[in-house]
Amino acid sequence: MSRRRAWALRLAGVVVFLLLWEVAGRMLGNALFAPFSSVIGGFPATVRDYKLFSALAGSFQQLVLGYLLGCVAGIVLGTAMGRSALLDGLLQPWVSMMFVTSIASLVPLFIIMFGFGLAFRVAIVFMSAIWYVLLVTYHGARGVTPDLLQTARAFEASRTQTFFKVLLPALYPYILVGMRIGLAHAIRAMVIAEMYVIVGFGGVIYNAGVEISTVSLFGALLTIMVVSVALTEMLKWFGRRTAPWYEERQQLSN
Amino acid sequence: MTLKRSLMLFPVSIVLGLLVWEAIGRALPKALLAPPSAVLGRLLTMTGDGALPLALLGSIQHMAVGYLLAVVAAIPVGIIVGRNAAVATAVEPLLNAVYAIPPVAFVPFFVIWFGLYFEGRVALVFAMCFFEILINVLQGVRDIDRGLLDAARALEVRGLALYRKVVIPAASPFIFTGLRVGIGRAVNAMITAELFFAAVNLGQILKNSGNAFDTTALFAVILFVSLFGLACQEGMRLAERLVIPWHHGREA
Repeated sequence: MSRRRAWALRLAGVVVFLLLWEVAGRMLGNALFAPFSSVIGGFPATVRDYKLFSALAGSFQQLVLGYLLGCVAGIVLGTAMGRSALLDGLLQPWVSMMFVTSIASLVPLFIIMFGFGLAFRVAIVFMSAIWYVLLVTYHGARGVTPDLLQTARAFEASRTQTFFKVLLPALYPYILVGMRIGLAHAIRAMVIAEMYVIVGFGGVIYNAGVEISTVSLFGALLTIMVVSVALTEMLKWFGRRTAPWYEERQQLSN
Repeated sequence: MTLKRSLMLFPVSIVLGLLVWEAIGRALPKALLAPPSAVLGRLLTMTGDGALPLALLGSIQHMAVGYLLAVVAAIPVGIIVGRNAAVATAVEPLLNAVYAIPPVAFVPFFVIWFGLYFEGRVALVFAMCFFEILINVLQGVRDIDRGLLDAARALEVRGLALYRKVVIPAASPFIFTGLRVGIGRAVNAMITAELFFAAVNLGQILKNSGNAFDTTALFAVILFVSLFGLACQEGMRLAERLVIPWHHGREA
């Protein structure tokens, strides 16, 4: 399939979807299923009434903080577990356990441990991002060729030097993939935490949801969709720029 | 050597982890972090007196219905879309877009359409599983070896027989991955739904324990749900080995 035909098909898909949405929306009405045109037309009012963008900006800060902390912890632990059989054996059962734990089930516990504020939201995002970054980095670290490490040893590189100058660059493509999966989960967790305690952007979704009309609710959903897609694309773009060999690895681990 | 060693390390890991947790739990006030000795005791009493199994029995209902609906919907849709390159290209951006929306954000919408109770919870479980299964089935069908399809064409295998004898068996490792990831998501969705719609079953126990600052009970329920999730995924892995034994060991 030519590139042009592929783009035409994608565009057609989006147009058909929006048309179906519009027709269904007009038949069902704003209360049940607001049509696309009403959602876009009502968007300025949604932004004003719910202070949409300032809520988003506030949530974004907590998201970035928790996500980056989770990434750093995931990279360090994943590399350590991938390179040391002892650490792997000691941590693996607990990591597997955390991996299946539902983030939502942690929310009531984390409220007691961290309160309703910044620490709570950061902790929830952290807990959702770390395991995916850890797992992908771990698989990457296990596959690092011994040649690289032996060369580092031959040049008498210290442990820190080996980590920063040999392991991290070798793991870079894996880390980027892990970070991309982790980001999707971090955004989900942020919305879970915020809808539960009704603050930030999740709070906007909750409050818009109890309105009679679905116009604001759909506006908020479209906003979080755009933000999520944009952040993911930014990570991909960053990956392509900083590591051109990233593309092929990405396909392998998708 | 590695397998033996990791088997030996497993009990060490559990004991060491519990000891660290116990030490931290005892150092902190009990309302903050319950020590594992208390949590395991509570887990046993709550299982013994029937509270957790009964609640799980209630929770499994909406989980099973939502999961089965998602499986029944996602597998045919994935196969049909995956076999048609034009349709697959057209729906790909839409799938990515919808997938980018956190499923919980749909809860207010589901409340409007399906209410606060059973049907609403089923809708959330369905939404959280459907895309996960669909994406795997789609990938599996699109990845089918061209040689297999060419051979089928040469042998004039067409229509339903093509799907029954070639497409579905060839895509089945991916379909099973979808089913396994999907059931993990279903357990996740099960407890999420009980916290975000009207609180019932396990979600109600969690909420009440949270309101009572009872971290021992909270840990016990979280542990219980996680163990249930692990059991479901392992069960699915076992089913995979029984149904498609030829794929065993080739898993990445």
